[in-house]
Amino acid sequence: MYKIENIKTEIFDVIKSLLDNKNLAITDDTPLIGSDSLLDSMKLVELCIALEEKASVIGFDFDWTSDVAMSKTRSMFRTAGSIAAEFVRQMELQK
Amino acid sequence: MIVVTGASRGLGRAICEQLTSKGFPVFGISRNMDKAPFPHMSCDVSSYEDVKAVSKRLRNDGIKIRGLINAAGVASMNLAVTTPSGVTQNIIRTNLLGTIYCCQLIAPLMLRNKTGSIINFSTIAVSLGLKGESIYIASKAGIEGFTRSFAREMADFNVRVNCIAPGPIDTNLLKGITRDQVIKIISQQIITKQFTPQSVSDLVEILLDDRTNSLSGQVLHVGGV
Repeated sequence: MYKIENIKTEIFDVIKSLLDNKNLAITDDTPLIGSDSLLDSMKLVELCIALEEKASVIGFDFDWTSDVAMSKTRSMFRTAGSIAAEFVRQMELQK
Repeated sequence: MIVVTGASRGLGRAICEQLTSKGFPVFGISRNMDKAPFPHMSCDVSSYEDVKAVSKRLRNDGIKIRGLINAAGVASMNLAVTTPSGVTQNIIRTNLLGTIYCCQLIAPLMLRNKTGSIINFSTIAVSLGLKGESIYIASKAGIEGFTRSFAREMADFNVRVNCIAPGPIDTNLLKGITRDQVIKIISQQIITKQFTPQSVSDLVEILLDDRTNSLSGQVLHVGGV
């Protein structure tokens, strides 16, 4: 059984693994899109694939598509915290 | 594994048979896929959910996808003003949305391995702007534009995306076109002869080969235009 608090840490670890600088700390506010983002579009897609696989292991389908994917205010990708929250939301929804 | 859409008949089936005969593992999808001498699954490419189910099955089975051939397509020769809305929607849904859905949902399986070749299908009719095919041409011109842009999105992952645009090939799609019309179209090709499904299959095989890893975002015209 996966604990929600552990999942957030694991997602942050996935994000960190995609960075060139592995020493950077990932927080809820770490931006994933926009000019300050630590991830380029390629890394963002890699993150999606990694989350899809993690969801598959847990036992649910993670849907990364969104009509506001690139919105700085509404996107699930806007920060590390928001993508973790969306992942947990979808997991809870499919319980 | 090479995923081929429209695998039950016509060009898609010819491609499946040629690839299979050359030792490529093929996974065919089509609306009516009752039996085939290769692994297959029924799927309406114009249904996002259907394509998603195919993608999920391939992912769950751990199948490594190295190619996607979007050969499923429908045609209807008619003037735009006399084409019923249902026919218009079917052409756009099957040809354009079907291609986009398959790319959206199957490509991520290739991104994991950072290799792959996607081949979409257009038509010589786009370049010639043939009269009486405007809806069909609109769907295929959309595929060409999608191919060029999607190729850039996939380039970081070493996945190539190209488009084959044949002249009139002898398949079911030609029903409704007279022999005279076919000859007239062929006369506008650079090589003025009618090519066969095998010619197209040969080009598919070449584009799957790693030796064409310098080609992406291109529209290749069978017969030349």
